[in-house]
Amino acid sequence: MVTRAISATESGSADNHFVPSVALGNNPIRIATAIVSTLPLLALGSILVVLFFNSLPAIKYNGFHFLTSKHWNPGNFYANPVTTNGVTHPILANYGAWPLIVGTLLSSLIAITIALPLSVGAALIVAKSLGPRLRNLLGVFFELLAGIPSVIFGLWGALTLGPLLARDVYPLLARHIPNVILLKYFRGTTGSGEGLLTSGIVLAIMIVPIIASTTRDLFLQVPKLTEDGASALGLTQWEVTRNVTFPWVSAGIIGATVLGLARALGETMAVAMISGSVLGSLPTNIYSTYTTIAATIVSQLDSALTDATGLAVDTLAEVALIIMVVTLLTNVGARILIKKVSTTSLPVGRGI
Amino acid sequence: MQDLVVNTEDDPHKGQPATEPSTIELAEIILNVQDLQIGFGSKVVIEEVNLDLRKGSIVSLIGPTGSGKTTFLRSINRMNDKVSGFWTKGHITISGKEVLSPDIDLLELRRNVGMLFQRANPFPMSIRENILSGVKAHKLAKKSSHDDIVRDSLEKVGLWKAVEKRLSDSPFRLSGGQQQLLCLARSLAVQPRVLLLDEPTSALDPISVEAVENLISKLVPEITFIVVTHSLAQAKRISNHTMFFYDGKLMESGPTSKIFEDPEMPETQYYVSGRMG
Repeated sequence: MVTRAISATESGSADNHFVPSVALGNNPIRIATAIVSTLPLLALGSILVVLFFNSLPAIKYNGFHFLTSKHWNPGNFYANPVTTNGVTHPILANYGAWPLIVGTLLSSLIAITIALPLSVGAALIVAKSLGPRLRNLLGVFFELLAGIPSVIFGLWGALTLGPLLARDVYPLLARHIPNVILLKYFRGTTGSGEGLLTSGIVLAIMIVPIIASTTRDLFLQVPKLTEDGASALGLTQWEVTRNVTFPWVSAGIIGATVLGLARALGETMAVAMISGSVLGSLPTNIYSTYTTIAATIVSQLDSALTDATGLAVDTLAEVALIIMVVTLLTNVGARILIKKVSTTSLPVGRGI
Repeated sequence: MQDLVVNTEDDPHKGQPATEPSTIELAEIILNVQDLQIGFGSKVVIEEVNLDLRKGSIVSLIGPTGSGKTTFLRSINRMNDKVSGFWTKGHITISGKEVLSPDIDLLELRRNVGMLFQRANPFPMSIRENILSGVKAHKLAKKSSHDDIVRDSLEKVGLWKAVEKRLSDSPFRLSGGQQQLLCLARSLAVQPRVLLLDEPTSALDPISVEAVENLISKLVPEITFIVVTHSLAQAKRISNHTMFFYDGKLMESGPTSKIFEDPEMPETQYYVSGRMG
């Protein structure tokens, strides 16, 4: 009975006004959207491929111990180049990216640790306690802060904030913080203000507007009905925030944090100016001078171009590949985390 | 399903709660409202509301949109407090305690006076945690009895069998009707004495509506219900007292059968006959 009904309909429509779905494949809008939607993927793929092939000689020459070694010696550019493993290179060239990787991760970690509570707190106050006028005004302020060129942050950090902290704050911290597990890295020599903590703080200031403005929008999207439900159940304002508001936006906050983290990981100019740009050694405490991958690329490119064998530039491409992979991994990790958070708590297309 | 169509001419009490009016008359007065006036800024939203409500009653608040029903309802558990410019005059007392007094323990008030909203509003946590959220906030029970509270509350609303095996799942996968029942169970878990229902079934299908209505009838006389509804049929089916609001005034208040069959005011007559709203 049912089968007959279906076949009748099918033949009927085929005779009269059945539009073959193939026609949609020729639809110019469809083709255009297909092209446009694959562009980001193509861009990402080609960047990775180009970086990989550019760094191939360096990968061959530096080997795996590139990831763990802390030397950074471009070799003698003026002596005759030699060939090892089929790669022509300046004599005595010896590269290791470990301090750059550590510096990149540590400075970003410090920045996120400072920025996350600050931004979420600020966003919560702006979204929940302020009237619409003040909220919009602060929104404009956040956007202004996000728009300041990083070189200005770098100058300010290197010339003003760093020396100030090194003179008035770091010595106090170094003297009074107890000598226990992680806190022991706050002790020791404090330097002149260029280093991990200063750049962590400056990076934090740079990413606060990114995380805060995204998080503020998230807080504003939490349904009032749900928060009211919690208040009506006799929960305190803090309990409502903790039990309803935060879980509702937690996936989004992770997303916002990754945006901020990506900015911190890739930040070049400000870090290059505040890090102290020290190659070939690991930071010994939180005030140590150091360098990051991005800062190394920008500070070393000029001299690397004078390497006639091209190995120095290829090595910079290799560290660029590393930062690329680190950023991608951070994003993938965040996606996994968001998925985990979403499946247990967030509404899935129903009841909202 | 037959209960959904009430023929009041046949039997005016059909589908009404089990509690007989005579037992209600003997019960203590749980809610008293005296000369209540509510406003926002310079605007008066409701005035001249008076009510004596005995324990175990089911009151329906009816009237056109904007007549002040919900504002009245939300002032009983002080949910209007956060609205800027909101003020009240007069008295609302629950079991003798002045609700509108600034000294009242708001959290305790809201534990006693629960609320169900127009749409289900589960919290972003597991079904089990939803039920326990109020219990934990008010520290009503030891951890060891949490399992029993979850089961008991869900059984009361008839949801236990459906969710027994998925207590740690997200509530947002439940149907709209089940979500609303879950919210009811969440309110019941803190053992309220009064439940305020703000159009609790307006977003539900007829079968879920029936489930919620049957539950309300089952939960009296322990709980007193005040229900805002736009469904006259629902008001007739479930309540034994009806308040008709019109243009910010309590136009008429009395036994449901009287309001629907023999109203005094022409506006009430007009509204309950279905010619308005």
